[in-house]
Amino acid sequence: MNEVTVGGMKFSLDLSQPLYEQVLDQVRSSIAKGEIALGEKIPSVREMAQALKINPNTVMRAYQELERDQLTETRRGQGTFITTDAGKVRAIRYRLAEEAVDEFLAKLGSLGFTPAEVAAILRSKGGVAE
Amino acid sequence: MKTAIHAANLAKRYGKRQALDGLDVSIPEFAVTAILGPNGAGKSTFMRMLTGLVTPDRGTLSILGQHPSWRLNASISYLPDRARWFEWHRVADAVAWGAGLLPGFDRERALALVRDLGLDAEMEARGMSKGQEARLMLAICLARDVPLLVLDEPFSGIDMISREKIVAALIDSFAERRQTVLICTHEIAETESLFDYAVFMKDGRNALSGHVEQLRAERGSVQDVYRQLYS
Repeated sequence: MNEVTVGGMKFSLDLSQPLYEQVLDQVRSSIAKGEIALGEKIPSVREMAQALKINPNTVMRAYQELERDQLTETRRGQGTFITTDAGKVRAIRYRLAEEAVDEFLAKLGSLGFTPAEVAAILRSKGGVAE
Repeated sequence: MKTAIHAANLAKRYGKRQALDGLDVSIPEFAVTAILGPNGAGKSTFMRMLTGLVTPDRGTLSILGQHPSWRLNASISYLPDRARWFEWHRVADAVAWGAGLLPGFDRERALALVRDLGLDAEMEARGMSKGQEARLMLAICLARDVPLLVLDEPFSGIDMISREKIVAALIDSFAERRQTVLICTHEIAETESLFDYAVFMKDGRNALSGHVEQLRAERGSVQDVYRQLYS
């Protein structure tokens, strides 16, 4: 699917993977990147479903998960808003960083690199302070 | 999840052709279910059985806990795969006709749908393109507040803009209503993001059925699964 921007957030969905997880991950990453600001209103389930051309149930499921993680809060009659708690956003940034590092290490591990070699590669790329 | 439609060992023969050959399937309530398969797999026969237009030779079919009947049809909004309704009507007449005849019909909603789908109330059905006619038929179907919506080929042979309008109207309808929806289509690439559940039919039977998100996790897109099953 082509990239779609909804409420400042960027989405690109792959129909061969579960859509719910992709919507959830991409909203999280928009929050972490600051594409959508703290306290800002997010599109309604219907607006999001229309923009992404997906089933509203899928959007609803992703939104419920965001709410459970306390990344969003729903105010009655007003809609759903990104949390105003900067600590929650910091936590999500670290979580995404850890996920990226885990993925990176798993990939290098599968190529047979030892932790020392990985560290050396990182240093050679300027990725680690001397 | 509760089951809205349950079929067990359904069979139907037309002359030499076995259209349904022991179909077993359970369709979840309040989900959007795709009925998929190549031509001749038995999709339309099954869809027609839901409204009692076709009676099974054997097997059982339960819809919302009842057998198919004219009484049950008051609870089903059905878009047939081939029909030419309203030839002598303007769009507004078609809406008035629906309001007078169809149970659960919401006239205001029908007029709003007609507008959203890009049709003019004064337009004559006779002069409509296939895409416009499909949009009118869909507006009439979606205007009914009934538990079950059955759409047989709502996209076939219809231009891109009409298809996009139909998809948008369906998404709005799914967002607003808790309704069990069945859609039979060959336009998988454009519609698979709308489905909660999919049934793949082959030779009059259920070749595979499941929740679409789970199929994606296990086997890839609906299109991928379709290729795996039929090519």
